[in-house]
Amino acid sequence: MMDVIYQMMESILPFSWIQYDFMKNALLAVLLITPLFGMIGTMVVDHKLAFFSDALGHSALTGIAIGVLLGVAEPMVAMTIFAVIFAILLAQIKRSRVSSSDTIISVFSSTAIALGLVLLSAGGKFSQYSNYLIGDILTIRPQELLILVAVLVAGIAFWLLFFNKLLAVSVNSVLAKSRGIRVRLVETAFITLIAILVTVSIKWVGILIINSLLILPAAASRNISRNVRQYNGIAVLFSMVSGVAGLIISYYAGTAAGPTIVLVGAAIFFLTFAFKQSVRKS
Amino acid sequence: MPMKKMAAVLLAAVLLLSAVSGCGQSTQQREDTASVQVVASFYPVYIAAANLVDGVEGVKLTNLTQPTTGCLHDYQLSPQELMSLETADCLLINGAGMESFLDKVMENYPDLTIVTASDGIDMMEEEGHDHDHGHEKGEVHSPLEEETVNPHVWVSISQYMQYVENIRDGLIAADPAHARQYEENASVYLEKVEKLKNRMHEALDNVSHRDIITFHEAFGYFAQEFNLHVVGVIQREPGTDPTARELVDIIETVQSTGCKALFAEPQYSSGVADTIARETGAHIYMLDPAVSGETDKDAYLRAMDQNLQVLLEALS
Repeated sequence: MMDVIYQMMESILPFSWIQYDFMKNALLAVLLITPLFGMIGTMVVDHKLAFFSDALGHSALTGIAIGVLLGVAEPMVAMTIFAVIFAILLAQIKRSRVSSSDTIISVFSSTAIALGLVLLSAGGKFSQYSNYLIGDILTIRPQELLILVAVLVAGIAFWLLFFNKLLAVSVNSVLAKSRGIRVRLVETAFITLIAILVTVSIKWVGILIINSLLILPAAASRNISRNVRQYNGIAVLFSMVSGVAGLIISYYAGTAAGPTIVLVGAAIFFLTFAFKQSVRKS
Repeated sequence: MPMKKMAAVLLAAVLLLSAVSGCGQSTQQREDTASVQVVASFYPVYIAAANLVDGVEGVKLTNLTQPTTGCLHDYQLSPQELMSLETADCLLINGAGMESFLDKVMENYPDLTIVTASDGIDMMEEEGHDHDHGHEKGEVHSPLEEETVNPHVWVSISQYMQYVENIRDGLIAADPAHARQYEENASVYLEKVEKLKNRMHEALDNVSHRDIITFHEAFGYFAQEFNLHVVGVIQREPGTDPTARELVDIIETVQSTGCKALFAEPQYSSGVADTIARETGAHIYMLDPAVSGETDKDAYLRAMDQNLQVLLEALS
């Protein structure tokens, strides 16, 4: 199965880097994961959840630590469960409106990162997990690509089922409620999806930069799109372009892959921003 | 005036706490003055010292860091660990930059006797290391690198013997009352180490294949001892993965030298090793630099014996 895909990639892409399986795997991972990041990113930006998803990324550190404490060899399961609980709890407390929501999120985010650091650095073993900070997409294994396929399918299914309802909620939640949309349910499902997407991809993207991947393409797309359809389409396009371009640039420039991808995304954002400014002035 | 009341309560609490903790400390000190407190900076030093102080009355050996810590790159001491320095009479360190995090700490303890285990051992310079083997493409040098020599001297078994002798001499100087016991313990232990060393040389001096690829520079001295060629070092800085181009370089090195064995260390995650193994068909073996593990006296000997078995399997 993988051999067939590898051969196809080699015949389509006549570049020197494609002869290495790790580059093929990394490219496949990027192609699987970036469309979803683009898609979910637009919804995150619409719901003003950019800071929220950042906190989720940080929660992964505690998730890893709990996984390690429980003796789970592959901390992904523990991480995902923790992130989902973390996300739902955070959303719940945010709704109570005791403090402003950015304060609540910051409290959660810093607690998660501090707890994770305390647990992981106990016994000085942190160096084993420092990979999680910047990610290691070049070491992804073929069987791990299957997990990304599953997440992509789940993400698309969610998008098809919930997109309109979610859009209605983001535009006007009172109106959405009066139309019979179960706002709480839709929001919780969405938050759970972000939590799963973030934790599943964090090993390869890295805690420090995962949120940029979610936000940058959507933010850039928002600068230049005129309607919702364009907004989503362009965000997915930007996300994929920065992923693929970043990976290839990192190969030739000898830089770390994840951060290079984010830098390409940032460049795209500033270009669209300049474009928007110039349009507005004229 | 609730503010003032609160301030008064707080102040009282602080005073009470400091009084209590003060008491605790003074009793502890009284207990400890009865004996000689020896502190080892990390695992390999601790294991060597454990053999030397074995059965010596009134000497208490503690390890400053956890036995699971591994190499002390970028280490940060916890307050608890600092406390053990407070009552120490003698601090045993590896030296050669391994304990660079202690430099500032040591300024606070000018009276503490410091024994450097790597004294007088020929160090490999990290650059010189490059020239020796010419094609270590996997290495990246960080401009902020403090360690200019390779500090992992204990991984070579001959140098480990000198390491033990240095610690012995340091202990004798710090605690002359027990000099004879240190001497005796040292000669017993050194004999064991020497036996293993001879056994390793006998077994490894004639293996046909001598090219190895290792992770992080810990095996430099080990390779020197047994005349193995380190054709590539992957992941020079622990915990940072190589970039795509460095991976390609290593893969090409593996393919061009026909090196069939990658040696990973149990202390670090093996994701990169897996990637290279998949790409080249080379096998991954675990070599233990004896930098973390069980805290019993024979741990070093066991680790090296295990390494011998692994190398024999991988290279012959």
